Amino acid sequence: MTVTTILPGSPGNTGATLRRNFWRGVGRVLRRKPSRIAGVGIVALFGAMALFGPMLYPAHLPRDNNALYAAPSLAHPFGTDFEGTDVLALVVTGSRYVILTGLATAVITVALGTALGLLAGFHRGRWDTVLMRITDMQLTIPGLPLLLVLSTIWKFQGPLEMGLVLGLLGWGGVARAVRSQTLSLRERGFIEAARGLGLSTRHIVGRELLPSMAPYIAMNVLIAVTGAIYAQVGLFFLGVLPFDSNNWGVMLNLAVFGGGALTSTAALPYLLAPLLAILLLTLGIVLIVDAMDEIFNPRLREE
Amino acid sequence: MVLAIGDLEHFMKRLAAITALAVIITATACGTTEATGTAGPGGIYTTIDGAKQIDATAPINPFNPQGSTFVGYDAMSLAWPKNDLMDPNQFYPGIAKSWTATPDQGEVVVHLQPNARWSDGKPVTSEDIRTSIGLAYTQGGSAYTVDAGAAGAAADIQILDGKTVKVVQGANRSNVFLRNVLSTVVVPAHVYGSLLPAGFWTKLKAARGTGPAAEQAKTEITGLSQKVITFAPPKDVSAGPFVLERINPGAALLKKNEYFYDAAKIVPDKVKVLNYTGNEQIWNYLVSGKLDSAPFTAVPAAVMKRIKETQGNGIRKGFSPVAASLAFNQARKPYDNVHVRRALAYLIDRSQVTKIASPEAGTPSVTTTGIHGSSAKAWLGDGLGTLEPYKLDPAKADQELKAAGMVKKGGTWAMPDGKPWKVELHVPASFSDWVAAAKSVTSQLNDHGIEASVVTSADYILYLDELARGKYDIGFWLMALGPSPYNIYQRVYGSANGWQLLAGQLRHSPPGKNGNWMGGPETIGGVNPGELTSRLNLASPAEQKRIVGTLAKLTNEQLPVIQIYDYVNTQFVNDTRYTGWPAADSEALRLPAGVWMQLGMIRKTSL
Repeated sequence: MTVTTILPGSPGNTGATLRRNFWRGVGRVLRRKPSRIAGVGIVALFGAMALFGPMLYPAHLPRDNNALYAAPSLAHPFGTDFEGTDVLALVVTGSRYVILTGLATAVITVALGTALGLLAGFHRGRWDTVLMRITDMQLTIPGLPLLLVLSTIWKFQGPLEMGLVLGLLGWGGVARAVRSQTLSLRERGFIEAARGLGLSTRHIVGRELLPSMAPYIAMNVLIAVTGAIYAQVGLFFLGVLPFDSNNWGVMLNLAVFGGGALTSTAALPYLLAPLLAILLLTLGIVLIVDAMDEIFNPRLREE
Repeated sequence: MVLAIGDLEHFMKRLAAITALAVIITATACGTTEATGTAGPGGIYTTIDGAKQIDATAPINPFNPQGSTFVGYDAMSLAWPKNDLMDPNQFYPGIAKSWTATPDQGEVVVHLQPNARWSDGKPVTSEDIRTSIGLAYTQGGSAYTVDAGAAGAAADIQILDGKTVKVVQGANRSNVFLRNVLSTVVVPAHVYGSLLPAGFWTKLKAARGTGPAAEQAKTEITGLSQKVITFAPPKDVSAGPFVLERINPGAALLKKNEYFYDAAKIVPDKVKVLNYTGNEQIWNYLVSGKLDSAPFTAVPAAVMKRIKETQGNGIRKGFSPVAASLAFNQARKPYDNVHVRRALAYLIDRSQVTKIASPEAGTPSVTTTGIHGSSAKAWLGDGLGTLEPYKLDPAKADQELKAAGMVKKGGTWAMPDGKPWKVELHVPASFSDWVAAAKSVTSQLNDHGIEASVVTSADYILYLDELARGKYDIGFWLMALGPSPYNIYQRVYGSANGWQLLAGQLRHSPPGKNGNWMGGPETIGGVNPGELTSRLNLASPAEQKRIVGTLAKLTNEQLPVIQIYDYVNTQFVNDTRYTGWPAADSEALRLPAGVWMQLGMIRKTSL
């Protein structure tokens, strides 16, 4: 029987220390610019909205029959919609769909894009040729017209379906960029060394290449979220997707076409509330991406 | 990032920019009126075409749906329909100065305006009318169809003299034959005549028969359709008060036709027809006081307020024979049960729905009769008061649902077997008033423990297609399309509900077949509503009244549809440059302003 004693300075402990240092670094980077803290705050707020928002309200939002398109007030900070429902409640309860779609799109875009990019870049040769031609084909598919046509035969019922379609239409760019990064990294010394040591491809790709690209991938996840939000809200705005009264895009559509928000002021808060939500969420994400850039790229650190 | 996302990203950014701009405009500007300039003492009359957007590349041809001709200005009919509550055969003169019809409308004799001339100076003759009718046959429909036995089809066209034409109706009579003949669009034979091949009229006669030769002739005639639609004359030759001068994607400019038979009545020197891409653009034209008049446009209440604030702007409201309803697919459970349909009718507050969906262009339906409220009074008289009004009454709705065997579990109504009941209301996404109405109805149903949601279709064509294929339980449906009583009830007891008129024979198809998506029973208590509707085609006025009374009562009891709101025709006029508009409820109200000018109504505003 052997007894294993973990001594100070053993590899396990080094990992924990590294993680502690990493989070300390994250804290430092965030504190350096208050805007980054604001970014985290905004994204956390939207995350909480998506998670708990619908729980704050009854399943069918209350309406005030005598206050259609009511002006902003304490009771209704963003006024009411065409049937007297509080606009803020619509934005809050609608955030789950929008954010879930964004996340689903981001995961699919990045997972597919990274996997294909890594494979193509690392193996080169025939793999590269085949995968990049597939990528080229994907990039040439005109996304918007395809989505418009798709929407006539497929009712996108849930956020995950929507995210799946947007994700499948959006991985091409990431795949190309990851491939270029892989092509550059695979010629570096540490990869050469790994190869020389006879490490498996899985190890080289998974443990050597991927961590080096993690910051880039992480940033792409966040940017893909904003892209997906714009895309799905836009499709709902155009009215090609099924109606859901608290969807931000549907709100924009009804404010402009049903309420005349671009011609008169009555429906303006109804238009501005979802727009503001999109703007804030994008801002939050951009601020976090700024922080991430510095965390993963030590050369950007000012100290 | 991928194209779709990129495109939409730009789109959303642009929307944000537009919104920002709108905020600035609403904060700083106060309804400026742009001077339209004048072309002469008569000035330029500015309007829009309510029927179509401008396509500057489309041929100057009234047979083309996108054609660069404008009804009432440079596109002329024999006569112009009056907005009558009951009689579909009331008309104002157009190219036809007068007309006579035998009591059964077997023969219609049309006398042309003696001074009518085309804009190239040539006289309008009977030959022009015959050519126009020939061309109408290539397009099919109404009086000019090659379908043997179709009700109200013309059987013969005779030229009595240079200015008189006789049109004879076939054996299967329709009492809207006169209306269909008078609606004939007139084009010059010296421009369009070459489109009809030699021997056309012999072929037409052959097509009315039966057998292979008739089929061959029919195919040849309808085969000319595309050739006629795409025909592009080098210049506009109009018999109307105006003629097209030039057209670009933004607007069409028409100048006065000096050869017009009533040229002295026409005041404006030119007419500018502005293009629009959506209702919002028309609202902006109206808010800025650019338009002298505009036909019916759906307008939100807040926008209407701004339009009314603009100097000179006025509103003319009148009868519009259209109503919005919820139509059931009775082949689907539980909508096959009349108690369920009645329960839903008792749960919908139609006033609230109208207030939300169409406050400016709708009035809540008094009850479900199948007829627009205004004409229902004329058709039914005191009978209207005896019908069930279906006022909001949750207690009655509960009774009806119980009678249908529905069960209430935990505050929510379920199917008789305990399975969940989910009401889905279908609407086309592009009809914002229907979307708002459907949302309001579902909210009201949810309040009463019925799980209801709105499902939109990307566009109207797709919506109608899916509706016809029986894919929906409940869909929004246009109805009460008067003034002809046959047309009114055809929307409820016509092909959508299984009754089809084929070769003069009425047949009923079972639900799910031949476009029967309403799936109602063929007879109810011994009454065959489709057969009665078909009889409206032929009936005398007294008999029509009797049939309409029976059908209204049946519709009210059976509720194949729930009538939600009746449309109100809301037109816009501006007194700044012109005046003399038709009054509210005028019989001319729904006609284009070009016809108002022909009738001598429009004058310059005296300064």
